Amino acid sequence: MNVMQADIFLTKRKVQHLVLSGLSLVLMALLLLSLSIGAFHISMNEVLAILLGKLGFGTYEGSGAASQVLLSIRMPRVLMGIIIGGGLGLAGAALQGLFRNPLVEPGLIGVSTGGAFFAVVFIVFGAKVLSMTPLLSLIGLPLFAFCGGLMVTLIVYRIASHTGKTDVSVLILSGVAINALMGALIGLVLFYADDAALRNFTFWSLGDLGGSSWMKLLTASVLMIPASGMVIRLYPQLNAMALGEREAFHMGVNIQYVKYVLFLSAAMIVGTAVSLSGTIGFVGLVVPHLIRLGFGADHRLVLPGSFLLGAILLSAADLMARNIVRPAELPIGIITALLGAPFFIYLIVNLKKIKL
Amino acid sequence: MLQGKNIHFCISERPIIGEVNIMVAPGELTAIIGPNGAGKSTLFKLLSGDLTCNRGEVSYNGKPLAGFKSNQLAKVRAVMPQHSEVSFPFSSWEIVALGMINDPAAISDRDIQAVMEKLQVWHLRAQAYNMLSGGEKQRVQLARVLVQVWKKQAFPRFILLDEPVSSMDVALQHLVLDFMNELKQRNIGILMVLHDLSLVANYADQVIMMKHGEVMANGHVSEVFTNQNLESLYGYPIHVEKHHEGLGLLVHSLPIHHINQRINKAL
Repeated sequence: MNVMQADIFLTKRKVQHLVLSGLSLVLMALLLLSLSIGAFHISMNEVLAILLGKLGFGTYEGSGAASQVLLSIRMPRVLMGIIIGGGLGLAGAALQGLFRNPLVEPGLIGVSTGGAFFAVVFIVFGAKVLSMTPLLSLIGLPLFAFCGGLMVTLIVYRIASHTGKTDVSVLILSGVAINALMGALIGLVLFYADDAALRNFTFWSLGDLGGSSWMKLLTASVLMIPASGMVIRLYPQLNAMALGEREAFHMGVNIQYVKYVLFLSAAMIVGTAVSLSGTIGFVGLVVPHLIRLGFGADHRLVLPGSFLLGAILLSAADLMARNIVRPAELPIGIITALLGAPFFIYLIVNLKKIKL
Repeated sequence: MLQGKNIHFCISERPIIGEVNIMVAPGELTAIIGPNGAGKSTLFKLLSGDLTCNRGEVSYNGKPLAGFKSNQLAKVRAVMPQHSEVSFPFSSWEIVALGMINDPAAISDRDIQAVMEKLQVWHLRAQAYNMLSGGEKQRVQLARVLVQVWKKQAFPRFILLDEPVSSMDVALQHLVLDFMNELKQRNIGILMVLHDLSLVANYADQVIMMKHGEVMANGHVSEVFTNQNLESLYGYPIHVEKHHEGLGLLVHSLPIHHINQRINKAL
C-alpha cells in the first residue's frame, strides 16, 4: 500500500474525529463551568454531587437553594444556550453552503428578522385572536417564526440566485432591504402593542436566554434537533454543491430535494431560536468560518463542527453576559455583536483571501 | 448509445437549436466543432440534461432522459462544464473525490490516485483548488469526471466535456487526449466540444460540425474534415494536409495579411 495515499485519506478522517472530540470536550467543560459560576455561586463539587444525585448515583441532597437554582434556573438556561448556539452555527453553515457564499448569515440576509416579525405578530395579535391552549401557545410561536424565516429565505434566494450562482452584492443588498422592511413591519406591529409587550420586546430583540425553562427547552429540542440531524446528514450533497448546482446535478445529487430540506431545516432552526431567545447575531456567520479556516471546507466536519463551536461560543457569551455586571445581566446579543461585528468587517476586507 | 433525436430548442421564440440528430457511440471520441454562437454549448447542455428540449428526445442506452433520476443518470454519464468555481477552500484531492459521492463503493482511493497521477495532478492533491492555474484546474475537474465513471460496468457510459483542454499547454493537451484513447477501451463514449482543429483531426473518431444551430456535416473525421467543409463552417480558408511523413493530419490557417498579400499578387 502506498504510504502517501494512506496518508491523505486516513489522516483527514483522523483529524476530523479529533477535532470533533476536542470540541465536545471543551463544550462539556464549559457546561460544568457555566453551571457553577453565576450570581449564586455553586462550587464545582456541589454541581457534580447534585447532578450525580439527581441521576441516582449518590446520596448527596445539597442545600435546598443550590439544588433549586441549579436544576430549575441554571440548567435549562445553559442547555438552551448550547442548543440555540449549536443550531445557529449549523444553520449558518448550511445556508452558506446552499448559497455557496461565505457571507451568508441568518441575521444578515434577513431570516432572523423575518422570523422575528412573525413572532412579534404572534405575540401581539395571536393571544387576542386565539384563545389558546398552553401547548399551542408554546409551539405556535416557534412555528410562526419558522414560517417567517422560511418566507424570507425563499425570497432572498429568489432575488440573489440565478442558475445556481449567487451574486454577492445582490445578496447583501436584498438582505439590507428585507431587514429594513421587516424592521419597519415590526415597528408597525409594536405600535399596537401594550407597555408590557414593548418592554418584553426590547430585551428580546437584543437576544436573551434569561427566560429559559424546561418546557421551553423541550420545545426547542423537539423542533431543532430533528432539523439539525437532517442538515448534518446532507454533508456529501453540500460538498458537491460547493462546485455549483449544475455540477452537483451531474454528479447525481437531487438538487431540488436538497434545497427544500435545507431551506425548511434552516428556517425551522433559526425561527425556533429567534422565537425563544430573540435575534442573536453573528454566531451563524463567525462559527462556520472559524471551522473552515482551521480545518478545511469538508462539510463532513464543517456541519457538526459548527454545531459544537456555535454551542461553545454562545455558552461562553452567556457566561459572560451573566457575570460581567453581576447581579444584573447584559443582553447576550450585545456580546455576540461586540465580538462578531469586527470579525465581519475583517471578513469583508479579506474576502478574496478567505475564498481561497 | 447516446442519442439525440430531432432536438429542437428555442429561447423566447428564437431557435437556438433547429433540428438536430446526433449519435455518440461507446468506444468512440466524438468532437463537436463550429464557430462561436453555433449552439454547441446549448446542444451540450441538452445532452447532459441541464436543459430540456422543446421538441425531440435525448436518450442514454435507449432510455429517455426524462426516465432517469439524477443518481441513475450520474452512473451513465459524467459532465465537465467549461468553468467551475468552488466557493470554499477545498483541496484538489477533495474535489476529485467528489466524483464518487454518487457511489462511494465504486472506486478505491488507489484508483483515484491512479487517475490523478495520470493527469499529473497528484502532486497538487493537498493544495487549495482555487489557488491552481487554469490548466491545473481543468485537469483536476477532468479527474473528478473520470472518477465518476471509472468503475468498469456492463453498460456503456458517456463523458461530456466542454472545451476540456482550452487552458492547457500543448504537451498536456496531447497527454489528456491520449488518455481518452484508454477510456474508450472501458466502453466509454466521449463527447467533446473542441476548438483546436488539429487536435480534432488527430484524435477524434466522429466529428459533428455545427453552424447556426444546425448540424452542417456529420461523420468520420476522414470523410468530413475537408478544406471545403471547414471553410464553409468557419467562413475562413483552412487547409487540411497529410503530414509529410504520412502520419496524422496538419490543419492550418493563414493570417489575414498573408491572404491579402496573395490576393494582391493575383490581381
